[in-house]
Amino acid sequence: MSKSSTHPYQTRPGVRRAGERIAFWIFRVCTYAVLASGVFVLSDVVFKGARAVFRSEFPFVNVTFFTEAPESLHVFDYQGQKMEMGDREFRAFLRGEAHKAATENREPLPIESQSYVYSAGGILPCIVGTVLLTVGATVIALLLGISSAIYINEYARQGPMLRFMRLAIVNLAGVPSIVFGLFGMGLFVIYLKWNVSLLAGWFTLAFTVLPLVITASEEALKAVPRGFREASLALGATPWQTIRKAVLPHALSGMLTSSILCVARVAGETAPIMFTAAYAVRDKLPWQDLEHFGDFFFQGVMALPYHIYVVSSKIPQNDYTQRTQYGAAFVFLLIVGLIAASSIILRGKLRQRQTW
Amino acid sequence: MPSERINSAAAFPVTFRRGRYAGLTGNQVVRSFFGGNAIVSVVVLGLITLFLFREGYEFFGQNRRNLEIYRAAGLEFVDILKRQEEGFGALNRALFEVRLVAGRETEPGHPMATTAELEAFDAYASKFGDAAGPLREILGELVETASAIKTKLVMNEDRLAERQHLLATDRQSEAGAIRIESIDIEAELRPLLESRARHSAISGSLAKSLVELSDRMPSMSAPELQVLLEEFGEQLRDYVASFPRIERELAEWRHDREVSMPSAITAFLFGREWLTASFWQDWYGVLPLVTGSFLISLIALALAVPLGVGAAVYVNQIARPSERSVIKPCIEFISAIPSVVLGFFGIAVLGEALRKVSHIACLEWIPGFPIAERLNALTAGCLLGLIAVPIIFSLAEDALQNVPKSFKEASLALGASRLQTVFRIILPAGISGIISAVLLGLGRVIGETMVVLLCAGNRIAIPDFSAGPGVVSQPVHTMTGIIAQEMGEVVQGGIHYRALFAVGILLFCLSLMINFVAQRILGRYRLLST
Repeated sequence: MSKSSTHPYQTRPGVRRAGERIAFWIFRVCTYAVLASGVFVLSDVVFKGARAVFRSEFPFVNVTFFTEAPESLHVFDYQGQKMEMGDREFRAFLRGEAHKAATENREPLPIESQSYVYSAGGILPCIVGTVLLTVGATVIALLLGISSAIYINEYARQGPMLRFMRLAIVNLAGVPSIVFGLFGMGLFVIYLKWNVSLLAGWFTLAFTVLPLVITASEEALKAVPRGFREASLALGATPWQTIRKAVLPHALSGMLTSSILCVARVAGETAPIMFTAAYAVRDKLPWQDLEHFGDFFFQGVMALPYHIYVVSSKIPQNDYTQRTQYGAAFVFLLIVGLIAASSIILRGKLRQRQTW
Repeated sequence: MPSERINSAAAFPVTFRRGRYAGLTGNQVVRSFFGGNAIVSVVVLGLITLFLFREGYEFFGQNRRNLEIYRAAGLEFVDILKRQEEGFGALNRALFEVRLVAGRETEPGHPMATTAELEAFDAYASKFGDAAGPLREILGELVETASAIKTKLVMNEDRLAERQHLLATDRQSEAGAIRIESIDIEAELRPLLESRARHSAISGSLAKSLVELSDRMPSMSAPELQVLLEEFGEQLRDYVASFPRIERELAEWRHDREVSMPSAITAFLFGREWLTASFWQDWYGVLPLVTGSFLISLIALALAVPLGVGAAVYVNQIARPSERSVIKPCIEFISAIPSVVLGFFGIAVLGEALRKVSHIACLEWIPGFPIAERLNALTAGCLLGLIAVPIIFSLAEDALQNVPKSFKEASLALGASRLQTVFRIILPAGISGIISAVLLGLGRVIGETMVVLLCAGNRIAIPDFSAGPGVVSQPVHTMTGIIAQEMGEVVQGGIHYRALFAVGILLFCLSLMINFVAQRILGRYRLLST
């Protein structure tokens, strides 16, 4: 069509052409409106979050934000100055004041502080919790999902049973994640008595994405031409040898990209862990003060998405609280965004390379 | 498939001799490993249904018991009177509104009604308000009686449950120690039933005084006010006309009429109230939540469908390849934004921004503006639209991509313009794919939790659809939101807990249905394109 300006039967400019151009512009505006709103959301979180996370002088990063647990923020006037302190610092300060007052033999100065929960300190336990949850759930989901896909696509006999299984899996992929959360609570937390724990969170998250992993892996396996398998079997290879040498190497890249997308999904989900794994507050890191090694799996953790939910719904919006809120949202977006972006880029590359 | 080939391998002249593990060849071990995993996946995914129903199905039994107590304790009886009293309250409010209009000034310094008229009106209004005094009195007494009976019944119920629990754990003696009072419902309810005569006398005199009052309505010189007053008079006459029906209902009321199981189910599915931890009666009606969910989904789809499909058409048919290779991953990346971050954005920025925009004077013609609440269905709907756009976009784009190229070429060769080709050839050919894309987007939007939990305003009431399209600016609550919000604070095994599971079942069935239909449409369309 780009050569339309040169061909002899070119349409003359007229009402129709103008209409067409207007219609195309409407479509273009639709597209860029979507992009603009996406960019607007992202840039708002990134700009305001970057202010909380980065610093203008060395070491350029707000270190406490990444190395400490959340605590309350106290804001007060002290000798005409506006002071902001975290909870522990504030208590030490009060003790120091009382001590100073005692030595000088006077009443300690009255300090009226305004406190905001969660607004000081950092989000280390949340990051740790999210990483633990994501890694565990991903391992379970990929192990079960890829094996199931291999079985369904390579070994299982075609029949009504398999068709039913496929139908169930495809339909379960659309079930809301909160329903999986309810299921995880019913099965793991209550029936198996795991309580609110890392283990319950792993399995709940894993099963939330399992239908997606199976479907995506199966797509990747299906994309490998049948001829590869037939040739390998004809050469006398066993089915497992065929799968390992002739099918998996070609399907692996496709599986990988979809798996990474699933990792992003696991990391980003909040609803399934709300009642199965996440605590609103927990001072200790998961590996601290363990009596048995097994206790590691049966403890709740703080998680970044749940933390964002808590800080955005349970505390008021103002300048002091906004730093934590945007900081946490920014870090979370960064983690999930990087995972997702790598998968999207990888997929773009792979699409170009597949030539059969 | 390969499996058939394995069997025929036995007849092959060169057979494998390999080690066996537990009587299985290596290949069989590998195969059973994969098979085992597949079975685990499928079984657990099946368990989802099982566990949802395990926790949820008892709700209907408990709800039936809940409704039985409601009836047995006479709460239902008192509620009939309550409705009568509420009807009067509504009339009173209507009168008050007329007074508000009357007090307004048409021009500065010129009120709508004269001072004398207003005085007469106020005297009338106070006389009107006093008319229902005896009715309120009897209602107050009956409320107390019924509450007392309910407390007794509920206590008995609890003791019974405790005894059963003790018996189940084999502690006979402790179970025997629990004394369960026998309640003579008939005797308990007697004061309630005997109050009928008193009530009919009261409501008779109320009707008489109301009729009198409707005849002695103050007259207003302003025609608009006269119209309002006439409307009020009509409402009043309707109200008085409803008295015989109330009497009849009271007379026909039986405390021992059975609450059937279907009625317990319909009370859940079509109940208009979701009221928990109330001192009077708990209601578990899912209708406000369902309407909230659908209202928000509707807003989201109204935004996402034109944008998503428009973008798909643009990227697939109009954009240059270089533009296309940039736009596609960018829109796909939007779907990676976690919903909780979007919800936070709604609370922090969008809600306030929308409210500010709605207060601009020149935008007042838009229905629903100005918005009163920062968090409402519109805020949540906009963000959910952003979630749905990438899904609808990528699926619709796939659908357009799968339209055979020859269709387009043939159309262009016949002399159709590009626009005609898009609207008459490409879109109709890909329409089933686009419809299923929209359905899948709907499924995603209905099931989304965090955005609606944070941004929808969480008011449990059926939105007031009489506001027309302006309904979008009201706060609502949703099915997903209520589960997320209340699950953390309910007693395990209690009726409220089970009610939330029942909502989960409803959500599960709804999303399965939507998905199933979408897959069906998609399947048919795939058939067409090959």
